[in-house]
Amino acid sequence: MIREQLRNIFFYTIILVFQLFVFNHINLVGFITPFIYLIIFIHYKTSYNKTTLIFLGFIVGIIVDLSMQTYGSHTFATITICYLRTWIEKYSFGVNSNLPSAMINGTQLINRLRFFGLIIFIHSLIYYSLVFFNIELFWTIVLNIIINSIITFIVIWLISQLISNK
Amino acid sequence: MQSIINSIVKNRNLILYLTLSIISFNSLYTNSSVHYNGIGKIATYLSGKSSFFSSSIDSYFNLKEKNKKLIDENLKLKEIELEYKNQIVENKSFNSISIINANVIFNSINKSKNIMVIDKGTNGGVDEEMGVISSKGVIGIIKSVTENYASIISLLNTDLKVNAILKNSSTIGSITWDGLNPKILKLNDIPLSSSIKIGDTIVTGGMSFYFTKGIPIGTISNYDNSSLEGYYEIDISVFNDFSSISNIYVIERTDNDEIKILLND
Repeated sequence: MIREQLRNIFFYTIILVFQLFVFNHINLVGFITPFIYLIIFIHYKTSYNKTTLIFLGFIVGIIVDLSMQTYGSHTFATITICYLRTWIEKYSFGVNSNLPSAMINGTQLINRLRFFGLIIFIHSLIYYSLVFFNIELFWTIVLNIIINSIITFIVIWLISQLISNK
Repeated sequence: MQSIINSIVKNRNLILYLTLSIISFNSLYTNSSVHYNGIGKIATYLSGKSSFFSSSIDSYFNLKEKNKKLIDENLKLKEIELEYKNQIVENKSFNSISIINANVIFNSINKSKNIMVIDKGTNGGVDEEMGVISSKGVIGIIKSVTENYASIISLLNTDLKVNAILKNSSTIGSITWDGLNPKILKLNDIPLSSSIKIGDTIVTGGMSFYFTKGIPIGTISNYDNSSLEGYYEIDISVFNDFSSISNIYVIERTDNDEIKILLND
């Protein structure tokens, strides 16, 4: 159990280091930054405590906020997806959402796609709405949400495949 | 107590989520000027909307009082207006007119001798043979008075004849009603020699004890110049809608007694 937790903490740290030191500095076409740290919340096992997940979301969000100087936008977006994760699981996996082990292995591709997509989209939606915080920039916000969701989705999907294969 | 603790434990995730959300929003609010201004704008908008809402409810409940104030104000203005006109036209001193406000409590328009009843009588300062007007123009003349009520012979009464002039040319005539259409009065005694056209305004002539000069009556809607008697037959479209009159002013000319003494001499 302790070994598993240590492994998880190591995994979170590695992902955060990559986010802070690599992906934060990637600016595809000037404004796209893949948020690979969302993989932490995607791979969080359903059997684990939900309260802990919200705390984890808060801590990760604060760290990313501090590194990107976004003052709480990431924090609010991550705690929201952590809070909503139970419903997203139910919506994505239906009756199989109570699987005790990891979300990723042994589930149908379409369900996984939906789960990944929803978490990433909701996060982007909240994040960009808060960052721009101006209704006059509605179309800029929509463009950012769509493009960034797609890019983040591709990157996270690839990393997930890599982890699963291991 | 136990149930409160239970519900807190049950909803701990929601409470935690809300608390952490407040912390992140507070961080946004205090650190980012964009969010500080944005949230400030939303707060201003909400407080503006809510106070507009409460003030409109408030004003609705105060309508009666406001209405009364407006009527009083109107009364004063009407008094000043008539006084002013009177002074210019007839070069009389101020204070020759006073006005009493009253509400119509009975009104008929479908007879040949229509009368109205108002809620003011001798106690309210109303007396016989005073002129009655509304904000739009002439209504009629007080016929009889009790302590608290008074009856008015309205313009829609075949017995009433009111002195009138053409506003533009000052040609003198008199207004009567033929008992047919409550929106149309007749203007008599205008000689064919004077020029008139449809749309000309007719006002009171001031040559009576009841009305001062210049109170509107109506406009010419139709005329016939084929009469052999040498006078036009003119239809007047009346300004007042007699079927919906609720608030009227009674005019008291305080100089009437003086004039009557002269006439008696």
